[in-house]
Amino acid sequence: MGFLKRRTILITLILFFAAIQLFSLYQQDKNTNNPLSRLVLALTYYPQKFVSASTNKVVSVWYRYLDLVRLKEDNLRLQEEINELRQERFELSEAEAQNKRLKKLLDFKDRSSYPVVSANVIGASPSILRSQVVIVDKGAGSGVTRGMPVASYDGIVGRILVSADKSSEVLLITDPVSAVDAYVHRTRARGIVKGTGSGCIMQYIEKKSDISIGDKVISSGKDGFFPKGVIIGTVIDIEADGSFITATVSPHVDLNSLEEVVIILKNVDSVVLNE
Amino acid sequence: MNKPLSIILFTLISLLFIVLQTTLLSPRKVGYVFPDLNLILIVFLGVYSETRGSLVLATGNGYLMDVLSGNLPGTFTISRLSAYLLVRTSSNHVYLKKWLVQGLVIFLATIFSWTFIISIFRIRQDTYFTLTLSEVMTQAVVNTIVGIPLFWVIAKLHAKLQK
Repeated sequence: MGFLKRRTILITLILFFAAIQLFSLYQQDKNTNNPLSRLVLALTYYPQKFVSASTNKVVSVWYRYLDLVRLKEDNLRLQEEINELRQERFELSEAEAQNKRLKKLLDFKDRSSYPVVSANVIGASPSILRSQVVIVDKGAGSGVTRGMPVASYDGIVGRILVSADKSSEVLLITDPVSAVDAYVHRTRARGIVKGTGSGCIMQYIEKKSDISIGDKVISSGKDGFFPKGVIIGTVIDIEADGSFITATVSPHVDLNSLEEVVIILKNVDSVVLNE
Repeated sequence: MNKPLSIILFTLISLLFIVLQTTLLSPRKVGYVFPDLNLILIVFLGVYSETRGSLVLATGNGYLMDVLSGNLPGTFTISRLSAYLLVRTSSNHVYLKKWLVQGLVIFLATIFSWTFIISIFRIRQDTYFTLTLSEVMTQAVVNTIVGIPLFWVIAKLHAKLQK
């Protein structure tokens, strides 16, 4: 009873509103548009609107959050798929490039008058003292011996320096020790192509010779090492050197990105010089 | 050092280093700014190990360099053996087991090694092989930078085997 005494005003108000409600229900059939109803509706409009809008906002934020979680998962999955596809595309392009190189090597094999064996570059010199040396995966077991010429489908690479059973060292034409007897393809002007460490120069070209920038330089076959007519490079600079001309030759083969080569099984010892 | 396990460890490290140096760290791939792991290992042998076995290993490492650098018989074998002996002798007089001193030793050993080789070529009047001072200095710096942490790693491995 104490509770009723203390909350008299509150209880009165509740009863009052309940009475109004009952009264409204009673009056519903008679007059649905009475001012009190409109007042109630008007009074409750804003709170309702507020609660509804807030609830909608919260719900929508929640749904968005759920969507985001799903999106994130989708995004991760798609990213993985993209990465896999990229990797596949890279592998395909690598395989295509390798296929092209191998086809060219096969063409070279077909064109060569000597038997050849193809090899992969597996290493290079560990020292700056002589960096123009690469190691290939074919050796004496495949018939490779010291001095044999090495080429790629693009031209001369070098010659075999040391041959073990399963691998060999190739001295590149850019090594200062390397020398190839050569001539200019267009005019047959003769000279010696020597390595400079980073490129090549063609020395001892007679001064009266006709040579110009852009001329192709090919092997003459007269040194007993390299077969005749294999391309070495292109003349990129010419300068007078005493009674001779010295031409800077840019090797036709990109020796820095060498991957596959062919070893021409030409036995150097049995070669008749000036063939 | 004479313990068989240590010899096996250093032989394996030698092989690993030479394979790395002829593939991923070859000067043909990375230019002349590359660490000479082979020389670093030889200096390590001079600083840390006992004489007999390491002398053979140092010679063997030099020979590996000779063969794989286009068959230059004796060039690296002798120069690296000399570098090893120099470090070995120094270790009797100077305390070499501090990282700063070790860095200095690697730096000096690199310069010594190349000076030795260039002197031989000069005496033989061999003009095919030339190296500039900047190339030698660059390699000495690179060797020092790479050598100090490498020394720490190898020393740890070596110490584990000694236990």
